[in-house]
Amino acid sequence: MSALVAVLTLPLVAALGVFVVPARLRVPMALASAAMITGAALALCVTVARGGPVMLMAGGWAPPIGIALRADGLAAALIIMTALVMGAVTCAAWFEASPARAGPRMAFGFWPLMLLLWGALNAVYLSRDLFNLYVGLELISLAAVALAALSGTAQAFAAALRYMIFALAGSLLYLAGVVLAYAAHGTLDIGLLTARTPAQGDALALGLMTAGLLAKTALFPFHVWLPPAHASAPAPASALLSALVPKASFLILMRLWFEAMPDLATPAALLALAVPGAAAVLWGGVLALVQKRLKLIIAYSTVAQLGYMFLVFPLAGGGGAAQPWAAGAWTGAVFHALSHGLAKAAMFLAAGIYIAAVGSDRLGDLRGLARALPMTGFAFALAAITLMGLPPSGGFTAKYLLMTSAFAAGQWPWALLLAGGGLLAAGYFYRPMVALFARDARVPLLRSIPRAWQSVPLVLAVLSIMLGLLSATPFDLLQVGRPPPASEGL
Amino acid sequence: MTAALPVLIVLTSLVPACVTFFLAQDSHRLRNGLNLSGAVLKLALIVWMLFAVAGGASYEATLPLAPGLVILLRVDALALLFISLSAALWFATTIYAIAYFGKKAELSRFFGFFSLCVAATTGLALSGSLISFFIFFELLTLSTWPLVAHKQDKPSLAAARAYLAYALPGSAALLWAIIWLESATGPVLFTDPPDLSVLEPGALRAIFALFIIGVGVKAALVPLHGWLPAAMAAPAPVSALLHAVAVVKAGAFGVVRVIYDVFGAGNVVALGVGWPLAVLASVTILWGSLRALQQDEIKKRLAYSTVSQVSYIILGAALASPLAMIGGLVHLIHQGLMKITLFFCAGIYDERAGVKKITGLNGMGRRLPWTSVCFSLGAMGMIGLPPMAGFVSKFYLGLGGLQAGAPWVLGVLAASTLLNAAYFLPLLYRLWVLPAPEDAKGDERAPGLVVPAVVTAAASLGVGLLAASPISPLSWATLIVTREYGP
Amino acid sequence: MTALYSGTFLPLGVLVWPLLVGLVAMVVWSRGALWVLPLAPVPALGFVVAGAPGSVVVPDLLLGVHLGIVPGGALLLGMTALVWTVAGMHAALTLRAGPQAAVFAGFWCVTLAGNLGVFLAGDIVTFYLAFAAVSLAAWFLVIHERTQKALAAGRQYITLAVLGEAALLVGLMIGAAAAEDLHIASVRAALVDAPLGPLGVAALVLGFGIKAGMVPLHLWLPVAHPAAPVPGSAVLSGAIVNAGLIGMMLFVPDGTGWGDVLVAAGLVGGFGAALWGLTQRNPKAVLAYSTISQMGLMLMLVGAGSAGVAYYAFHHGLAKAALFLCVGVMAAAQTPRQRGATLGLVVLVALSVAGLPLTGGGVAKLAGKQGLPDALSLVLTLSSMTTTLVLVWFVLRLAQAPAPPLAPSPLWRSLFAGAAVLGGLALVAPWAVWGHATGLPTGYPAQPANMFAGIWPLLAGLGAAALIPGQRLPEYPPGDILALLRWRGGGWSGRAGAARSAAPRRHWRRAVLRALLHVRRLETHMRPWPRAGWVLIVTALTFSGLVLWTL
Repeated sequence: MSALVAVLTLPLVAALGVFVVPARLRVPMALASAAMITGAALALCVTVARGGPVMLMAGGWAPPIGIALRADGLAAALIIMTALVMGAVTCAAWFEASPARAGPRMAFGFWPLMLLLWGALNAVYLSRDLFNLYVGLELISLAAVALAALSGTAQAFAAALRYMIFALAGSLLYLAGVVLAYAAHGTLDIGLLTARTPAQGDALALGLMTAGLLAKTALFPFHVWLPPAHASAPAPASALLSALVPKASFLILMRLWFEAMPDLATPAALLALAVPGAAAVLWGGVLALVQKRLKLIIAYSTVAQLGYMFLVFPLAGGGGAAQPWAAGAWTGAVFHALSHGLAKAAMFLAAGIYIAAVGSDRLGDLRGLARALPMTGFAFALAAITLMGLPPSGGFTAKYLLMTSAFAAGQWPWALLLAGGGLLAAGYFYRPMVALFARDARVPLLRSIPRAWQSVPLVLAVLSIMLGLLSATPFDLLQVGRPPPASEGL
Repeated sequence: MTAALPVLIVLTSLVPACVTFFLAQDSHRLRNGLNLSGAVLKLALIVWMLFAVAGGASYEATLPLAPGLVILLRVDALALLFISLSAALWFATTIYAIAYFGKKAELSRFFGFFSLCVAATTGLALSGSLISFFIFFELLTLSTWPLVAHKQDKPSLAAARAYLAYALPGSAALLWAIIWLESATGPVLFTDPPDLSVLEPGALRAIFALFIIGVGVKAALVPLHGWLPAAMAAPAPVSALLHAVAVVKAGAFGVVRVIYDVFGAGNVVALGVGWPLAVLASVTILWGSLRALQQDEIKKRLAYSTVSQVSYIILGAALASPLAMIGGLVHLIHQGLMKITLFFCAGIYDERAGVKKITGLNGMGRRLPWTSVCFSLGAMGMIGLPPMAGFVSKFYLGLGGLQAGAPWVLGVLAASTLLNAAYFLPLLYRLWVLPAPEDAKGDERAPGLVVPAVVTAAASLGVGLLAASPISPLSWATLIVTREYGP
Repeated sequence: MTALYSGTFLPLGVLVWPLLVGLVAMVVWSRGALWVLPLAPVPALGFVVAGAPGSVVVPDLLLGVHLGIVPGGALLLGMTALVWTVAGMHAALTLRAGPQAAVFAGFWCVTLAGNLGVFLAGDIVTFYLAFAAVSLAAWFLVIHERTQKALAAGRQYITLAVLGEAALLVGLMIGAAAAEDLHIASVRAALVDAPLGPLGVAALVLGFGIKAGMVPLHLWLPVAHPAAPVPGSAVLSGAIVNAGLIGMMLFVPDGTGWGDVLVAAGLVGGFGAALWGLTQRNPKAVLAYSTISQMGLMLMLVGAGSAGVAYYAFHHGLAKAALFLCVGVMAAAQTPRQRGATLGLVVLVALSVAGLPLTGGGVAKLAGKQGLPDALSLVLTLSSMTTTLVLVWFVLRLAQAPAPPLAPSPLWRSLFAGAAVLGGLALVAPWAVWGHATGLPTGYPAQPANMFAGIWPLLAGLGAAALIPGQRLPEYPPGDILALLRWRGGGWSGRAGAARSAAPRRHWRRAVLRALLHVRRLETHMRPWPRAGWVLIVTALTFSGLVLWTL
């Protein structure tokens, strides 16, 4: 219980704190609070894993009067993943954003924005109330847009502006849906909505909310804002934007379809969710193939990877007596979200190191850097392995679970997509890898990169591999408080 | 102890791999010592296990990932056959590689991936479930890529790219096959063949085809063989490893596993998928030989020869008769010994005499007699002349073909014998008969290179000469077939 | 733990000893390599003299080695050992020492071991090993001189030898699969009834026929024999061809129709080759055709089920080796007396081969007729005519051979002694084993009918030969069909594969790249906000609609 509260409030308090403390205490304070929040997240995880879902009624009022917060396995897993990524990003930003090098905007603005984003993410993970989720989403968008604009270049501003327009449009659609739902049922609590009597406007409400959330998740074809925004942000910010932000809106989608209104799921609607996902895998993959800048490749890879998660909608419930596990597709999608978060953050942080080292992320400028910065190259390679879905990484476990469900559900074409997407990923990561590991003469580095900094992405990448190697524990955690449609299908 | 042993055997190469990555470039002694002691330790463990398993013991270790996703390491007779080959040849190749590279650059990276590759092979051999087989199969792909690209020049990088371009779709096909099968039958353990009746015969055939595509890429089945000749750009120890110890063998081993432990020989015959595979293997045998005939680079010729020879193993497995299977399994060992000898020698010709092309071999027998004798022995074995190892495999394959009611196999074997002779005898002719050019140079004052070649050549002679003795690979293959797949 | 071997070690020793000697020659004492050659067959000689006692089983070796003298093998083994001993002496006296000689000596010994092995092998794997050794190692005897001619002959030799090996393997595998056993006897028996039996026997006949110089598989023989150094030709013609013969005897089952094939091929070879020999000028080539002819007769005997094949081959091996050695002796002869003596020896031995009554050859012919139908007996009698003809031609060619450059005189004596020993044995030795080998009374050859059957074709042949000096005989290169077809061995030196042009592939790659760039341009069209906004609204409505309509 206290861990839950701490996870929610500590980031917000810390975000306020870094505003007021003197400049030299800013970074230590951010680091200290990151450590504390990570500790709280760990404690929450342990509690959930041991004793089942943790509920918190704000002020002791039960819904519909009060607002409920609930940490189930899904939320706990995302919280711990967020904490790990945030912790790593904090360390990387500490190395990268010393005031002397990265102008005052970065040095000052990054810390509160990051902590604010953290708090908002945790709020979204834990909320059981649609309006609360809206607030969380808005906070996330706010922080994310600001982070995207943080580098202050004209390019970054343009990208951030486009991002904001998409985010606002998405929020509006979502809000419209929420209003409709409230009008029909008089409650916004997810638990209560599950047991509602179906009403006329439900379909429109769900459709509006879904469309809004798709825009925020940057699912194809709403992804157009993502690559420029992610690529022009400073690397630690890109890591946050790519690894965490889309996961929040995706989580809401899962809560809506699996928990709040599973009765509305028709095969056609599920297909309509998955087909753009499939298109995203291919489109993002192909575009990543033709990029010249490392960060754009990584960003388009995000577009592609987000697509996989949407396969959960038609595949959930696929399974059968033959499998020793239940809810394969659902667990697989979440596994994918987790491993993608870790690996993508590692990749962007590695890109940040390269940019710091040579001042550019054009593939041509990166040639031979693996020799100068071997740990970073290794981290990049490990992260790429996860994203390609090669064993024994978390990405592989996710792919395995999804593919098995695809066959068990008799929908094998999705398996083809999963396999083909992995090959595309191999294709678009091949080019940066070859550039990095080329035998060119050693490039003079603009600045020396301390080993500690280099180890940050490596830790994240290793974690993404460990997620596959030791997948039994996270698997069990995810099953805590799993909604019934996850195993029975929509 | 029974659980620790398989893990220990993987660790004997995994630990040196991990440590080697972090060693400084110039700590040659430590690196060499580490790798060699790992190899020796592994050999010792395997010898110990050989006796235990012959007596009926079995060892097992499991590491559960997600439910159903279990890494299961299990020592059975078939696994031991493969790891004893890879361990012995790893040891030889390590010595060779140390001598080959001397004090060149990037050795920590090389030996790290080298040992990792062997660790993956060991894990693959010991895998007791389909999914752990796949995991190690992928690890093998990934750890081999840097080895192929090791020189980092243009041909090496192109070769590495070709390797991945073939290997990754192959593993996608393999994964697809595994998941398709497992989604119907549940996780597949090799000890406990799945109940295939839940799937339609059509689906089973498709799954089988996918399996064969998946492992066939590694086994260089025509038309999936394109990467192997290209990979010749890699340094000689890597070629030896690719062709004899790890990659190609892993593919062939996979075919054996799929046929005998996943589908079961009976089902393969009942589904009617055995003979198309046998035909494909035969086509590969002939095509590889024909292409070998056209190469004028020694290593390229050897590479196409591998394409051809490895399909003997697949042919034996696909024919699914006991004698053919013995022939196929024993060829796993025999081909390894002979081919590694040939590649060792090709490396020596390149390194010590600067000869890469066939024309350069003229009169080499006089200047590099030991190497040339080894090369000749290996080549004679490939042709299948008695008493070399290759003859024994070929003999059993032919008998097995007749046993399986496929007399055309004899034609394939005869044609392959002739083709092998046609592309190997000219090399021997050049080595021993034609006079050396005036400005010829070269010597073999490099015991680290020559001794491994001599040892493997002697071994490939020995396993053929003593084929019927109780400690020969042939007896071990017979034990596998009679004990585990017998009627 | 089973015993390493059971039985007597002797047969194994007979085979291992030449290999050890060869190893010494090649590795240890290459300077005197040639001088160990006469020693290599000594244990084999002793083994035969002792009556070829015992057999041995070595279960661990190969697929289980069984050694023991094969039926009819004792005579052939003894003859082989004798020929190799004398030829080894000849080689030691005439060939130049040096590294090349060491290689020659090494492979000489391997060939010898294989040649002895085919008479001792009890199982097919050992037999195949021995056959491969005698077949392939003999390549080095053919190409020893390294001249263009020798190398070309070597190419033809090795091509056909390898072809023979492959055919043999196929046949043996069919037999072994049918017999489910590796013993030669059971394989032979199983080939009769096996469904693939005819194919198996055909493959075996092909494999052995190549070695035995069976027409039309004899192509290598007249090319290789003249190209090899004299001792090499002697063992090739005297001893090695018998490996094919023993194979036919051991494996081709009775009563399957294959006997008739052998008889037919043998008849063509027996007469055709002898006559074709008249078109040759090189004495060794003439002799080679004579060998093909004689082998044809022996194949006919095998096919017809004669009891005296081994006996016939025993004589022919000794005599033919002696004749080949005489070519070398003639080359070393300096004085007219030496040349005369050599020619005298040649004539004696040639008369024996032609079947002069009471000589070794004459009695061999009589033995060969045992168990033969009358028609074929007559054929065998008639063959003396063509044999006489070709051997007279050989004597004439040898007599006209140019006088050699000076060579040390004692050499001739030793060489002559060797050839004389072999020739003498050819004349006499068949008598020594007559009763033992044929079971006929000693007086049988002297019966008038037999005397007459031996003498008239000989005289007729001599009469025909008397016409030779007046004729202009056509001259063809050795190798008849092969040479006439001007066949060229292709792909020998590894021609480079046609380089595939890289252009189309590059073109293809560029097209893919262009398509990818189109995709990127499409992306920029999607970016403007109005378009994206519309898509967003449409999406929202689509979802609502889908849920509504399909609910």
